[in-house]
Amino acid sequence: MSVVSGPAAPNDDAQGRTAGLAFAQGTGFRTDSVDEWHRVHPVSPLVRGWLAVVALIFLFGRNSFDDLLASIRSGGRHNPAGAPAWLILLFLGAAVVVFGIYFFLSWYYTRYQVTNDHVRVNSGVVFRRQRQARIDRVQAIDVVQPLLARIFALAELKFEVADAGKSAMKLSFLRLDEAQRLRAAILARASGMSVDPCRPSAAPQAPERAVLALTPGRIAGATLLSGISVAALALAAAAIGALYATGSPSILAVFLPLALAVAAAYWKAFTIDCNFRIAQSPDGVRLRYGMLDTRAQTIPPGRVQAVGITQSPWWRPAGWYRVHINVAGYGSDHRDSGPRTVVLPVGTEAEVMTILGLIFPDPGTADPLGVFRAGLRGKGTAHGFVHSPPRARLLDPLAWRRNGYRFTDTALLCRHGVFFRRLQVVPHERTQSLSLFQGPLMRRLHLVNFELHSTAGPVRPVVRHLDTATAHELFTGQAARAATARRIGRPDRWLEESNHEH
Amino acid sequence: MREPISPAGLEFRHVSPKLVTVRLLERGLGSLLTVAVASLPLVLRLAGVWGGFPGWLAWAILLLTLLIMLWRLALIPRQVRAIGYAERDDDLLIRGGIFFQRVMVVPYGRMQYVDVSVGPVERLFGLSSIKLHTASASTNALLAGLPTAEAARLREQLSARGEAKLAGL
Repeated sequence: MSVVSGPAAPNDDAQGRTAGLAFAQGTGFRTDSVDEWHRVHPVSPLVRGWLAVVALIFLFGRNSFDDLLASIRSGGRHNPAGAPAWLILLFLGAAVVVFGIYFFLSWYYTRYQVTNDHVRVNSGVVFRRQRQARIDRVQAIDVVQPLLARIFALAELKFEVADAGKSAMKLSFLRLDEAQRLRAAILARASGMSVDPCRPSAAPQAPERAVLALTPGRIAGATLLSGISVAALALAAAAIGALYATGSPSILAVFLPLALAVAAAYWKAFTIDCNFRIAQSPDGVRLRYGMLDTRAQTIPPGRVQAVGITQSPWWRPAGWYRVHINVAGYGSDHRDSGPRTVVLPVGTEAEVMTILGLIFPDPGTADPLGVFRAGLRGKGTAHGFVHSPPRARLLDPLAWRRNGYRFTDTALLCRHGVFFRRLQVVPHERTQSLSLFQGPLMRRLHLVNFELHSTAGPVRPVVRHLDTATAHELFTGQAARAATARRIGRPDRWLEESNHEH
Repeated sequence: MREPISPAGLEFRHVSPKLVTVRLLERGLGSLLTVAVASLPLVLRLAGVWGGFPGWLAWAILLLTLLIMLWRLALIPRQVRAIGYAERDDDLLIRGGIFFQRVMVVPYGRMQYVDVSVGPVERLFGLSSIKLHTASASTNALLAGLPTAEAARLREQLSARGEAKLAGL
């Protein structure tokens, strides 16, 4: 069988060979040459497809199993109600063979390689699929371990690039240490760190510095003080009301499924955020979380497109905030984009500031604490914020002094919301496009909304109901600031000596 | 007339007035279908199939639909006149809308790719649409009703400038 491989740059090959020679002398990671492919771990299809297998066995097997038992109990006599035992066994055997062949083929045809510039994954038995991603465009790398994979010490490597198709590239499953090694190697390549061609094994796991770990108590408290509890209270009130109205306890059975759903929501929220830890390394910010399914995310420097800090009214007494980010590629994968975009599920103001310091090392202002605090909780014009004019009171009776923006040398801060407080921070060099919007009522009041377009994600920066002249100033000013920031912006490869002079 | 929402001191170029005809045709066809559906109760009632349907309601549905459709058609010339674009050194500005106005600025360095599309009715009138894509899904920068030559020029221009100013994400 011939190996299918995409077109590669000639130097790919040459460098791969040098690395290969060096590998013979030492141990460690080396990149692959063009026609060198690896397979994922043989158990992977089973780990991926176990749910389907269980479901199928349950669907078809339950009745047949009963029949089988009945048939055995009746002494192997022909059972008129069900199929004979040999047929069921044959069916079972056929299922095992079919699944086995399918799993083997899907394993056999899935292969990957990591060359100096690309990661390539080929998969599919009938419909072949070849995906290739440029390493220097990596936006984030996740090492995901579902529960079953953890039992086998396997992990899935998820590789988010902005230029490949809709979803992330996945390598599932690899041995955990192999996945971590690949991650380190890809990040080292992506950072542009000059790897010694004679000693390619010196692409080490970047050293980590633990920054923050959330206690289970905090997570539990945050889960209890959330929208789920509001729903639970409403549900309890409805149940009690129904009990009084009807007087028969049997009405409570109606609420049982809903109560189960609430319990499941609590459980999910708690297990996802459990053991949340943040560490910093030269490779970027590293997040780890999860109780049963665990995930380790690495977001290289400069990949965060926007940050959103929110506080719901029920978190205000505790002074807690939640921090979301936009990363290119994260938003497009709907299935698990929710938890992945959270960099701090619940944190105090000081912890939020720490995280902001990790994500934006340069706040671009002399008094970052004061400015960001004003953005989180402040009102009015304190710390240089510009807010809606008094006539916006008609549309925003409470929030008009809160609706506001402020720009620093490096980022734009948009704040809004009185009950649900929000602060959105977008670095100037990550601005995609801008727009002004005005509806009929707003035109009557000479107000304009300013919108900033970021990559798909939970943060949609907007400044509501600005004075028309102010909005124009912000619009043109922000376009100019973004253009300047792009020109002097940092290169994609964050450890490489900058050669981006325009 | 300068739209109050667009920044001052910019010369916006208008799209081809033929877009009015294109939109009238496209939307008129859709409106006809809607009106046909809306007149169904009345027709059925007059034919005696659906005698129980209140007559005033049948008339009201038809008239209301007709009014809305006519209003939407009448808006088209003003809507088309409101569309404009301006090329600046670093970015392209696009504006549009009458009641709900929007001005958008798309930096050349942020453009991922440019789409030029021609629909069947547009082709009859020699028009094209151009759409700019950035890494953001909310960038909805569609510029319809450009003469084909102008669309080609703009596409080339945008690609050239995008290449010169290209920044990472």
